[in-house]
Amino acid sequence: MKKRFITVILCLTLVFVLVGCGSSGDEAAPDIDEVVIGITNNNVGIDSYQTTHYETFREEAEELGVETVRLDATGDPALQVNQIEDLIQQQVDVIVVWPVSGDAIVPAVRNANQQGIPVLIANSPIDESGFELVEGFAGPDNLTQGKYAAQMMKEALDGEGKVVELMGLPGYVTAHQRSDGFNEEVENYSGIEVIETQPADWDRSRAQEVMEDFLTKFPSGQIDGVYAADDNIAMGAINALEEAGRLDEVKITSATMFGDGYDAMKEGKIYGTIYQSPVEDARKTVQTAVRIATGEEVEFFNYFDTPKVTLDNIDEYERPIW
Amino acid sequence: MKSKTGIMKVKDNFDIWDFVQKNSIWLIFVICIVFFSIMTPNFLRVRNITNIFLQSSFIGIMSIGMTYLMIDGNFDLSMGSIMALSAVLVIGFMDYGIPVAVLLSLLAGSAIGALNGLFVTKAGINAFIVTLGSMLGVRGLVYIYTGERALVSSELAFSEISAASVGPIPLPVLIFLIMLILGELVLRYTSHGRGCYAIGGNYEAAVNAGIKVDKHIIINFILAGFTAALAGILMASRMNAATPTLGMEDHMIVITAVVLGGTKLDGGFGNLIRTLGGVLVIGMIRNGMNLLNVHSYVNMLIMGLILISVVYMDQKFDPLEE
Repeated sequence: MKKRFITVILCLTLVFVLVGCGSSGDEAAPDIDEVVIGITNNNVGIDSYQTTHYETFREEAEELGVETVRLDATGDPALQVNQIEDLIQQQVDVIVVWPVSGDAIVPAVRNANQQGIPVLIANSPIDESGFELVEGFAGPDNLTQGKYAAQMMKEALDGEGKVVELMGLPGYVTAHQRSDGFNEEVENYSGIEVIETQPADWDRSRAQEVMEDFLTKFPSGQIDGVYAADDNIAMGAINALEEAGRLDEVKITSATMFGDGYDAMKEGKIYGTIYQSPVEDARKTVQTAVRIATGEEVEFFNYFDTPKVTLDNIDEYERPIW
Repeated sequence: MKSKTGIMKVKDNFDIWDFVQKNSIWLIFVICIVFFSIMTPNFLRVRNITNIFLQSSFIGIMSIGMTYLMIDGNFDLSMGSIMALSAVLVIGFMDYGIPVAVLLSLLAGSAIGALNGLFVTKAGINAFIVTLGSMLGVRGLVYIYTGERALVSSELAFSEISAASVGPIPLPVLIFLIMLILGELVLRYTSHGRGCYAIGGNYEAAVNAGIKVDKHIIINFILAGFTAALAGILMASRMNAATPTLGMEDHMIVITAVVLGGTKLDGGFGNLIRTLGGVLVIGMIRNGMNLLNVHSYVNMLIMGLILISVVYMDQKFDPLEE
């Protein structure tokens, strides 16, 4: 009994020591001149975009010679609030937040602000009430991505046609921005009309259902184009179109390329999309954070380049692993 | 401390191993403090200690209700969902004024607790099934009520509740500690407290002894609902918003904290002081691992390992057999 007890205690100590050794590499004695960036991510394990972003963030920081504390809120807004406070306790030089919820982090960000630690928002925007509390935003320009998708749609349809839109999850700023960008741009084109918009919730099977409903509602010849908020949604729509045998009738554009969409484009199923790279995203974020930490002035919006991709230039890009 | 359940024999010679085993949580507590304060210089600062208490107080408040339930041999899986429901309700009812909103969501939480209790006692359904059902059902309600998006409070004053402090002690911590002391007193010195131990210790004997078993169990389920609601309200105040995914895993963390504190899952044994130990150990691990830059998933791994180790240590220890 006593032996067992001692064994368990030893095991526990061992676990702690192992964890300690594992992390001691990142934890070298802090140099006064050395910048420490703290980041709390949204949910690293959930998709390969976030995983790639997480890894690139570390690589880019190593390259620039800055230290990082990289945390993951695992999709839990309350945990993210705790992590922001832990980063404040550690007195990092700048806190990067990839919001789980753009609203729920506002009080925690206010706290960081009061403690004099600058905050940079990454990838997804903070609620507007938090704008005055943060140094800026680094990430993709979803409004422009929506506009690009509209421009490619105009190209694909020669400026004339009826379009249905499958948007992301309502309530997500990203979803609304991609929709707004597309619709604002389309208003400039007299020949193009968005006949209906439905949410597909970033979900492939949901997208397929919504597209099936569209195909029932609008018989052959009444839909010329489909705008999808990302390739995942586009793939769902393609499934429905193929089942109905109407894929040839429509042109598809989407606002973000994924690996599946890359293949579909090569097969001619998707006309145009936008290359939003997590690598570029993470790099831009680290660079902006370092500039903030070293006291440089930065623009409020720091977008990375998200180019249009069609069959003409697809070979310039690698197949996305996300 | 150990004779309070009234079922331990007075021993002639004091067995140090026996004592250590029963108080294993405090040993782990000390190991955690030593480990983290060696590994990270910021850990033992007063501000970080306050921070750990604040972060732990939400789980802590819920663990009070859970300890009561587990002493009488039940448990509640729906606490995380109830917490989310009361958080969104308190924000949703904000237009009627803060007191009304708080009262209504406390009522809602207690009512769900009462329903759980009624199904367990009167319908005789296993607590696991009943609370698993309400965990799913209540989470569904939360999604329906919020339309899957975050609700944001229009009252900035509401966020003052969690931000307020009495002297150096944040208000949520004060509420937690006062409830803990009151709860411990009730457990030790009232008929309800003694009833809980009796029911968990030997259900048949408690029934035969004329203890109103159903009443005590229902009261405990209401208490669990109430504490979950209170934690939800404080959490909503902390973020000045409520997200539908709030507290997804919190019921598991709460159960972990209570079991770490030595409360037995089959009931009849446990107290709130040691539950406090369990809550603080989890709080320290979460905070310390963040300070150490260890990924959140490793936190879960460590907590799992510690939990199993503690239960293993307690395995041979059964107060009834001595």
